[in-house]
Amino acid sequence: MARRNSGDYAVVWPRSAKAVEIKPLAKRLDTIEGKTIAFLWDDLFRGDEIWPILKQELGKRFTGVSFIDHDAFGSTHGDEEHRVLGELPGKIKSMNIDAVVSGMGC
Amino acid sequence: MLRVSAIAEQAGVPTSSLCCEGFLGQAKTTSVGLGYPNLALATVPGHVDVQTSDELRTNVLGTTVEHVIRNLTGEIASVQATADPDPQDIVFEGSFEEVNRLFLENGWSDGLPIVPPTKEKIAEFLAFTDLAPDHAIGKLLPDNRMATVWNVAVNGVMAGCRPEYMPILVALVEAMADPQYGVEHSGNTPGAETLIVLNGPLIKQLGFNYEQGALRDGFQPNTSIGRFWRLYLRNVAGFLLHQNDKGTFGNTWRVVMAENEDSLARMKWPTIAADMGAADRGAPAADSAVTISRFTGGNVIVSVFGDSAEKLLPYLGNALVTHSAWEVIFTVGMATGTYRPLLVLSPLIAETIAKTMTKQDVQNWLFENARMPAHLFEKYLWGWTNLVPGKRTLNDWVRLGKIPKVFAGNDPNRLVPVVTKPEHIMIAVSGDPLRSNCYLFVHNGMLGFPTTRSVRLPKGWRMKLSEAQG
Repeated sequence: MARRNSGDYAVVWPRSAKAVEIKPLAKRLDTIEGKTIAFLWDDLFRGDEIWPILKQELGKRFTGVSFIDHDAFGSTHGDEEHRVLGELPGKIKSMNIDAVVSGMGC
Repeated sequence: MLRVSAIAEQAGVPTSSLCCEGFLGQAKTTSVGLGYPNLALATVPGHVDVQTSDELRTNVLGTTVEHVIRNLTGEIASVQATADPDPQDIVFEGSFEEVNRLFLENGWSDGLPIVPPTKEKIAEFLAFTDLAPDHAIGKLLPDNRMATVWNVAVNGVMAGCRPEYMPILVALVEAMADPQYGVEHSGNTPGAETLIVLNGPLIKQLGFNYEQGALRDGFQPNTSIGRFWRLYLRNVAGFLLHQNDKGTFGNTWRVVMAENEDSLARMKWPTIAADMGAADRGAPAADSAVTISRFTGGNVIVSVFGDSAEKLLPYLGNALVTHSAWEVIFTVGMATGTYRPLLVLSPLIAETIAKTMTKQDVQNWLFENARMPAHLFEKYLWGWTNLVPGKRTLNDWVRLGKIPKVFAGNDPNRLVPVVTKPEHIMIAVSGDPLRSNCYLFVHNGMLGFPTTRSVRLPKGWRMKLSEAQG
């Protein structure tokens, strides 16, 4: 950051340290074939129409892929959000989920 | 959506986040605050709200599905953390104009000149709190930065506050950091803006305007503390336009609204802070308190006419219904029972009503009489919006036990309340004491749920205040 010595005002930064460390993403899948993909949804912006299209297309292209629908989790936005997010790590394990598709950011 | 992906990545599974084209920028900046700057996004071209089913299908098959496959199986570029300055380091020395240019160019200012945050000015603010400068108030999403007493003082200086406002600024950030408030939603597309309501002796001690023009800029404490709120959202929480703040239109920050407590005392009506249980949180009722809540907008109710509560209330009830639109998804649907509209009465109107009614009576009257046809309510839920899926009727919600039976019935023209409980209609008293206008704010549900904090004063407050006001 630029710094001069001749000014009238010596000022500090108005922000603060991040409270989160940068972390690496999870290892990606070697293939989608035979994997279990879960869809989590915030009950918004036509996710209920998009997910069936994605399921159909992924099912066509990859053999043995299986899907877990959003209603197995509840809405990720609104009054259920904190519960649904809190339960997610446990459900990923217990339901043998290999990958997650999350929507909708609109 | 991205918080889900961050949790899943943390749990060891790859993710793909579905994102409309216009929201990719916000998603990228939000991802940084979640600790995963390279969360994998799958684009949905355009915006789904205006696409036919065929167009949506073509877009998903043509673009989204390829992105999902790439996100789950392909290599994702790693990202390095960038080094931030230490908050107490001097980052620049220069003239007033040079400092302001630097702050604008780095997105640290709102477009108006700021008061340069020098260590000398910051020290003046820190003298008005007993908390240590590095005291951590909380973490603020989406940037996930630490809210500290130090950066409260820095942004208070910048906003043009006076040092003696510091106890209020700290209380505000404590409220902002309360999970109940939901600061992480402050960049959502309705662009709601926070209203700060102040109660207690600080109104008079610090010279807040609580009479004519109560919601207009022009008084230093009302105006500069309102500006502080928005600067803090920008610099610490990280809500910047074209990044994490996706308000389609947005509002400028609101000035602090102080209640007219002389009028409230005459009527023996409780303050907003008392309604919110400030005294139950361990603070004596005489303490000052701030209440924050996000409102999508409001409207003035002009020339409320009549010499009795019976004559005045129908107009107020009508305003409550006609100005509540899609916001009823927070009454029923998205976050049931979180809609909290705020009716601001001028003292003239409030005291006329108070001749025969308590505040609770008014809330009960409005609950019973400010009602909307059920068919219109359901249009807001899923007819004209796609915000509450499933096309559940009000009867369905009653059957599920989610809302009171008052919403049930067979006649689509039956009248239903706009809130689930009478006390959810908040009532404040402020504005011109001798004019018959009122104001209604419509609320943004759990995306800024009303949250109250008492204001803690430093030891030796009266002496320090006297010296500061010299």
